[in-house]
Amino acid sequence: MTTSTHTPVLQVIDLSLRYQTRQGEVQAVEGVSFELQQGQSLGLVGESGCGKTSVATSLMRLLPENARLTRGQVRLNGTDLLELDDEEMRSYRWRRIAMVFQAAMNSLDPVHRVGQQIIEAIEAHGMETTVSDARERVARLFRMVGLDPQLMDRYPHEFSGGMRQRAVIAMALSCDPDLIIADEPTTALDVIVQDRILRELKLVQQELRMGMIYISHDIGVVAEVTDRIGVMYAGRLVELGDTADVFRSPMHPYTAALMSSFPSVHGERLPLQGLAGEPPNLIDPPSGCPFHPRCQYADEVCRTEFPERSIHEDHWAACWHPLEVTVTGDGSRDGCG
Amino acid sequence: MTGYLAKRAGQMALTLFLIVTLTFFLVQAQPGDYATFYALNPDLPAEVRAQIKESFGLDKPLWQQYLVHMKNTFTGNFGVSFGHFPRPVLDVLAERLPRTAVLFLTATAVSFYVGFFLGKAIAWRRGGVLEYAATISGATLFTAFTPAFGLMMIWIFAFKLGWLPVGKFLDPLVWRGAEVSANHVFSYMLVTGAAFIAFAFLVLFFFRRSGRIGSAPLVRPVIAVAALAIPVAWAFSDIGYLALDILRHMILPIVTLTLISFAGTMLLTRNSMLETMREDYVMAARAKGLPEKVVRDRHAARNALLPVVTSLVYSLIFAIDGSVIIEGVFSWPGMGMTLLDAVRSEDLPLVMGSMVFIGLFSLLAHVIVDVLYVYLDPRIRYQ
Ligand SMILES: Nc1ncnc2c1ncn2[C@@H]1O[C@H](COP(=O)(O)OP(=O)(O)OP(=O)(O)O)[C@@H](O)[C@H]1O
Ligand SMILES: [Mg+2]
Repeated sequence: MTTSTHTPVLQVIDLSLRYQTRQGEVQAVEGVSFELQQGQSLGLVGESGCGKTSVATSLMRLLPENARLTRGQVRLNGTDLLELDDEEMRSYRWRRIAMVFQAAMNSLDPVHRVGQQIIEAIEAHGMETTVSDARERVARLFRMVGLDPQLMDRYPHEFSGGMRQRAVIAMALSCDPDLIIADEPTTALDVIVQDRILRELKLVQQELRMGMIYISHDIGVVAEVTDRIGVMYAGRLVELGDTADVFRSPMHPYTAALMSSFPSVHGERLPLQGLAGEPPNLIDPPSGCPFHPRCQYADEVCRTEFPERSIHEDHWAACWHPLEVTVTGDGSRDGCG
Repeated sequence: MTGYLAKRAGQMALTLFLIVTLTFFLVQAQPGDYATFYALNPDLPAEVRAQIKESFGLDKPLWQQYLVHMKNTFTGNFGVSFGHFPRPVLDVLAERLPRTAVLFLTATAVSFYVGFFLGKAIAWRRGGVLEYAATISGATLFTAFTPAFGLMMIWIFAFKLGWLPVGKFLDPLVWRGAEVSANHVFSYMLVTGAAFIAFAFLVLFFFRRSGRIGSAPLVRPVIAVAALAIPVAWAFSDIGYLALDILRHMILPIVTLTLISFAGTMLLTRNSMLETMREDYVMAARAKGLPEKVVRDRHAARNALLPVVTSLVYSLIFAIDGSVIIEGVFSWPGMGMTLLDAVRSEDLPLVMGSMVFIGLFSLLAHVIVDVLYVYLDPRIRYQ
């Protein structure tokens, strides 16, 4: 899928987010920009604490009280969400952007029936006018994610982990959003269930032609479901490209290290090869390229100046010494088999 | 659920048995002899005395008296009150118990509602003026010395301002020439109240089932209309002014009790809310684009309610204990006053009867709160 022919569903421009803490200001997101076309999916990957969830919650404007968006725009079909007033933003949530939370298992309220929790969203956005229509919609959604519609009158505690996960995905789809954000939606599940749900999620996303942002720390998982991959490090987007390209030849040393540490979704996890040390403290991030303390190629310029983008067609990395791009023939790409 | 209720009923019976036993021996342990009170009471005609002596087994040894007492209690024979002679104890209690129950259940409900409402509001908007005002005044009132505070309320609202009656259940001047008894009017009031509550539940139930999304907003107006219609209907009836007199007498004790006790619920709700507001399902509710009020009430507060409801048991028991003091201060002729008078005048059958019914009342309160909790928390409901 080429990116330039469609108008983007989502344009994130220079997004920056700070958290005020007692220890100081956490620079959780720094100058992140990317685009997403209709029906396209983007994977956001990176180690724990690199700011993936912060990007997601900024898009939904669901930030904790100590968070401050210092710069940037989030354009959804051209409208900058950060400019909307609270009531307008409320009508955008779920109707335009829906989210499957990282703690998806706990995003169902224990005291209400699962179906009812979906119906209340349908109701809040006026998607249906009668209760029976709304129930019919829930039944459709349940079938779509592989749940028996009869389960809609059950309570969350009567669901298994996998069922809850599916219910939460059904909930996110309930108002036909233009964009769905899935923040590590399957981490709490065992690998088999995880894999199945992931594939189903991808099918649904393609069928409904929604944009999707899929967040994971596991680049192998992301590669299975997304068209494009963005790699985050210390609050910054450091590499972005089509999944096939990034996988065939990562440009950023950090991406390469991530890939070597996750041989496949099903394989055992090796320690991060060639990636000694901890991710940096975001209160006082390293100067220059934030990855330089852990990078085997780092030199003087890496320590002092943030890298310019090295661009190769639709694929770029913020690195002074990008890895060599292996030739991909005439530019026609097959999927990432 | 039925099994659960059966189990609770069994526990209740056992506890009641213990209460009866304990009261019996406590009264026995008092100086003076239970038997002689009956046998030597000069108010009693000789033949009645003999009859009582026999039916209560007062000529028998203590353990046999105990057995007879137990049998009498569980067959509903509490004997005859000395102080209200010749009314049976049961008759006195049947008059007094509803008065206490209505006063204290209303006060507990109002106080719970106020506390819960304020608690969720101050948790939702932290650091506001409301938070400081509610916390400081609530805590002050909570620690106030109850009788002194009650007297102060009477002084302000009854003496100085003259808005409300000083105390008691009714004003004899109003009732002069009335053709119905106070008990009669009061029981009509009880029936009306119960009918209204039942109606409100039916309305809630009906609208929840009905077809159109967005019909829920009708619930409040419909209930409000009913709530307005009831006073109007009473006003046109010929006992309306009598009911109003009783109501006027209830206001001051209820307000006083509410002021004294709302802070407990409020602070508990606040803490519980601060917990639930951090839960992922509250974030999810907000993400769904639900109005803030819905997020607060249907999700954060609804879950925060669970631990607070547990504390309702203590509020009710606190209310029952407090009834002795509060009823004394407001001269409210309920169970608390009855018990106090009975103890003072050594009206032993009435003392024992009151104790049994106060015990029964707190047991019932306990069970009702437990059942309510089970109803509110589906995780327990289906176990
Ligand atoms: N409410 C907050 N207050 C202060 N700091 C925060 C807060 N939320 C996140 N952070 C910090 O911001 C940085 C980015 O956090 P974020 O949750 O976005 O990372 P993440 O990539 O989603 O991590 P994970 O993979 O563990 O979910 C981290 O350093 C984190 O400690
Ligand atoms: Mg995260």
